[in-house]
Amino acid sequence: MRKRSIWLWMAAVTGYAFLYVPLVIVIVYSFNDSKLNAEWVGFTFDWYNKLFHNDEMLTAAGNSLIIALVASLASTLLGTMAGVAMYRYKLKLLPILVLTPIAIPEILMGVSLLIFFVLLNFTLGLLSVALAHIAFCIGFVAIVVRSRLAGMDESLTEAARDCGATPWNAFRYVTLPLIMPGVIAGALMAFTLSIDDFVITFFTAGAGTVTLPLQIYSMIKIAVTPEVNAVSTLLMLLTLALIIIASRVSPNLFSAEED
Amino acid sequence: MRASGRRAKWLVVGPPLLYLLVFFAIPTLIMVLASFRTPGEFGGLAPLVDEAGTLDLNLESYVRFFTESVYAEVFVKSFWYALLTTFLCLGLAYPLAALIAKSPKRHRNLLLLLVILPFWSNFLIRIYAWMIILGPQAALARSVNAALAMVGIQPVSLLFSSFAVLTCLVYVHLPFMVLPLYANLEKHDQTLLDAAQDLGANAWQRFWRITFPLSLPGVYAGAALVFIPAFGIFAIPDILGGPDDSLIGNVIKQQFLETRDWPFGSVLSIVLTVVALALAGFSAWVGRRNLGNPSSARTADA
Amino acid sequence: MKRLLLVLAALATSVSLAAPAAAAGKDEFHLYNWNNYLAPETVKRFEEFCKCTVVQTYYSDNEELLAKLSAGAKGYDMYVPTSNAVQALIKSGRLKPIDRAALPNLKNIDPLYMNTPFDPGNKFSVPYAMSTTIIGYNDEKIKELGLPTDTWAVIFDPKYLEKIKGRVTVLDSANELFAAALKYKGYSANDVDPKHWDEAVEVIKKAKPYWAAFNASSYIKELTVGNIWVVHGYSNDIFQANLDAQAAGRKFKILQGMPKEGAVLAVDNMVIDKSAPRPDLAIKFANFMLEGQNSAELTNLIGSGNPNTAAVKFIKPELLKSPAIFPDKAVQAKLEQLQDLTGAQRRLRNKLWTGIKAGR
Repeated sequence: MRKRSIWLWMAAVTGYAFLYVPLVIVIVYSFNDSKLNAEWVGFTFDWYNKLFHNDEMLTAAGNSLIIALVASLASTLLGTMAGVAMYRYKLKLLPILVLTPIAIPEILMGVSLLIFFVLLNFTLGLLSVALAHIAFCIGFVAIVVRSRLAGMDESLTEAARDCGATPWNAFRYVTLPLIMPGVIAGALMAFTLSIDDFVITFFTAGAGTVTLPLQIYSMIKIAVTPEVNAVSTLLMLLTLALIIIASRVSPNLFSAEED
Repeated sequence: MRASGRRAKWLVVGPPLLYLLVFFAIPTLIMVLASFRTPGEFGGLAPLVDEAGTLDLNLESYVRFFTESVYAEVFVKSFWYALLTTFLCLGLAYPLAALIAKSPKRHRNLLLLLVILPFWSNFLIRIYAWMIILGPQAALARSVNAALAMVGIQPVSLLFSSFAVLTCLVYVHLPFMVLPLYANLEKHDQTLLDAAQDLGANAWQRFWRITFPLSLPGVYAGAALVFIPAFGIFAIPDILGGPDDSLIGNVIKQQFLETRDWPFGSVLSIVLTVVALALAGFSAWVGRRNLGNPSSARTADA
Repeated sequence: MKRLLLVLAALATSVSLAAPAAAAGKDEFHLYNWNNYLAPETVKRFEEFCKCTVVQTYYSDNEELLAKLSAGAKGYDMYVPTSNAVQALIKSGRLKPIDRAALPNLKNIDPLYMNTPFDPGNKFSVPYAMSTTIIGYNDEKIKELGLPTDTWAVIFDPKYLEKIKGRVTVLDSANELFAAALKYKGYSANDVDPKHWDEAVEVIKKAKPYWAAFNASSYIKELTVGNIWVVHGYSNDIFQANLDAQAAGRKFKILQGMPKEGAVLAVDNMVIDKSAPRPDLAIKFANFMLEGQNSAELTNLIGSGNPNTAAVKFIKPELLKSPAIFPDKAVQAKLEQLQDLTGAQRRLRNKLWTGIKAGR
C-alpha cells in the first residue's frame, strides 16, 4: 500500500478550489437581491420565481440542452472513429480536417457555415446549429481518443483477431473498453463546448431559434441579471442529474474497463 | 491489407471524413476564396463576377496584412498569452488529473465530472464571477494591495488588466488540459512505479523519469486543446481586459463586425489557423523525436 | 449501449422535427430586436390586437445584425437597426419599402427625426426609440474631486484624468470613441478628413494610460457598484445604472452628463426585410408602436429617448426632464447621428484603431 503524496493532494485541492470558487459565487448570487451581478445585497428567491415564468429563457435552456446532447453524442461517435482511424492508419487528409476546426476562429466558421447553409437553401433552425456544433466538436474528441491510444499495446487486438474475432468484435470487446476513459473525456468536452457556444450558434441559428448563450449574450449590454445565474445553476444540476441517471441505466457504459 | 481490413478502414475513416468534408471543408473553402475577393461596399463581399464579367480576385488583403505591421504585433502578443496560458494550465491540471487517475475506480468518473461541472454554467456568468473576485472591493484585491502598500508600491487594479485576462484564460481552458491528461494518466501501470521504487527511485525521480515521459501524448493533446483555442480568443479581453489587452481574436472579430472587411478577416483567420496548426505540428514532431518511444513510430501524423 | 443508441435516435428525430414544425407557421411575426427593447406588456397587447404570436430573437450590436444579414440569413420580418446600419441596409437593397398609407400613426413622430439624409421621405424606416452617447458619472466622487461633467475633457484631458486614473472606461467602439474625440476637438462626428482623424488618435492615445478599459459590456455594472467613477456610455444604460444604484441602497447617484461640445444621437428604426414572410404583420406592428401609449411603455421601462410626440403624455415626468433623454432645442442642435463610412474609410479607421489598441 503506497502512501499518496500529500503534495499531490494539496495541489489537486487547490485546483478544485480554483474551479469552484467562481461557481460558488455564481450559485450564491442567483439568490442576490440586486439586478446586477456585481455585489451582494440581500437574499431572495425572486430570480428563480421570475425564471419559471420566463418562457423565453426556459425554451432557450431546453434548446441548448437538446442541441448539446445530440451534438455531443454524434460528435463523440464520429470523433472516436476519427481518433481510432488516425491512430491505426497513416492518413493525410483526416488529421487536417480534424485539427483545423479547433484552430479556426469561430467567427470565420460561423459566417462560412451560414453562407453554406444559405447557398443550399437549408432552413436554419435547431438542426443547423446542431450540425455546426458537431463539426467543431469532432476534433476535440478525436484528439483525446488518439492520445489515449498512443502507446497502446497492439498485441491485444492482434491476439483477438488471431483468435477469430471480426474487426468489429475486436474493436468492441478489446479496443473500446481500453479507450473508454478517452471517449468519455471527449464526450464531456464536446458537451461543454456545445452547451456554451455563442459565436457559431449566433450565425447558424434560425429566425426563431434561441439557445441559452444567445439569450444571455444579448443581455450583455443591458444587464445580465441573476436570472441568468438561476438558469445556469438549474441547467448544471439538471445535466448532472441526467448523467447520474444515465450511469444507473447503463452502468457498464462508464466503467467498461476491467482490471 | 485484407479485403475486410480495407472495408474496416473505410467504415472507420469514412463517416467522420465525409461529415467534415461537407460541413467544414466546403464552408471553409468558401471563406478561403473570400480572402481573395473584394469587400462589399456596405458589408459582406463584393460579387464574385463583376459587371465586366471577369472574376474579381486579388491579393489586396494579403498585401495589407504583410505591409501593415501592427497586425503582426498583435499576433505575437496573442502567441505569448496563449503560451503562458498553456503552461499555467499544465501546472494546475497535472496534479488534478493525477489525483483523479489514482483514485479508486468507483470515484474516478465522479471526480472527473466535478472538474467539468462548473463549465456547464454559462461562460458570461463565470467571467462576471471572476470580476467580483478580482474587483477592487473584494478580499483578494484588498489583501494584495495591502501587501504592496507595506513595501511602498502603489495599489494595482486586478481587474481590467493582463492579470485578469490570464487568470480567466487559464480558468476557461483548464478542463481541456485536465481531460486529455487524465485519459492518458489513467492507463499508467502502477507496477512500473512500484518496481522503480523497489529499485531505489524517489518520488521525484519516479515522476520525472517514468510518469511524465509516459504522459507526454496526453500533455501534447492537452497543450494543443488549450493553446490553439486560446490563441484566437476574444471574449475575455472584451469583458475584463485592460486598454492594452487587445488580442488577435479581437482584431479578427472587428473585421467582421465593425470594419465589415470579410476578406481581410479571412486573411487574418487563415494566418492564425496556419500558424496554430504549424505550431501544433512542430511541437508534436519535437515530442516524437524526444520520446524515442518505439510505439510512436506507428502513430499517424497529428 | 442499445438503449443509448435508441435515445440518440429519438433525440435526433425530435431535433429535426422541431425545425419544420415551428416554421409551418401559424400567424407568427418574427422580430429581431435588441434585448429588453420592447416591454412585455406591449408584446401581449400586440398579440391580442393582431391575433398572432410575436417570436423575438435578439442581437446586441448593429454589426452582428449586418453580418448575419450579409451572409444571407432570412426569416425575419422586422428588425430595429440604428440609423447608420439602416443606411447600409438601404444601400445594399435589403429593405422592403414601407407603404405610408398603412401607417396613419406616422404623423405622431416629431418631424425633427423624419426625413433624414440616409432615408429621405422615410421610404424604408420608421423611428422607434433613441439614445445619446454621453458621460455617466458617480456624483459623489465627481463633487469630491471637483471635476466638470459637461465636457468631453473629463475623459480626454490628462489634467482631469490624473485625479481619476484607472476609474474611467470608454466604449469599445471605434465609431463612438472617434466621434467623441472629434467632437472634443471641435469637428463634426462624421468628419472623414484623415488629418482630423490623426488628431483624434493623438487625443485618444494621450488619454489611454489613464483609462481602466475599453468596455461596452460590463462597464455599467462597475459604475453602479462604485469601482468605476466616469464612463463614456449610452444614456439608457446610465439611466438604468442609477435605478439599480438606488435600488441597491447606494449613497451616490449615477448621473448623465451631456457634453457641451455635442454628442452622438442614435435613433433606432423599424425596418422590414425584403424577403419577410409576413410583411403585413410587420406593418401592423410598426403602426401599433407609433401609438403614443405603446411607444411610451418602452421609455418608461428603460429610459430611452422617444421621437414620438403623442407619447409625451404617457411618459413619467422625471424622464421628461432629462436632457439626455429629451434634449431641448439647444442640445439638439449639437447632437449628430452617425453616418455609415465607405469601405476605404472603415479600413483606415480599423488600422488606426488597431494601432491604438496595440499600444503603439
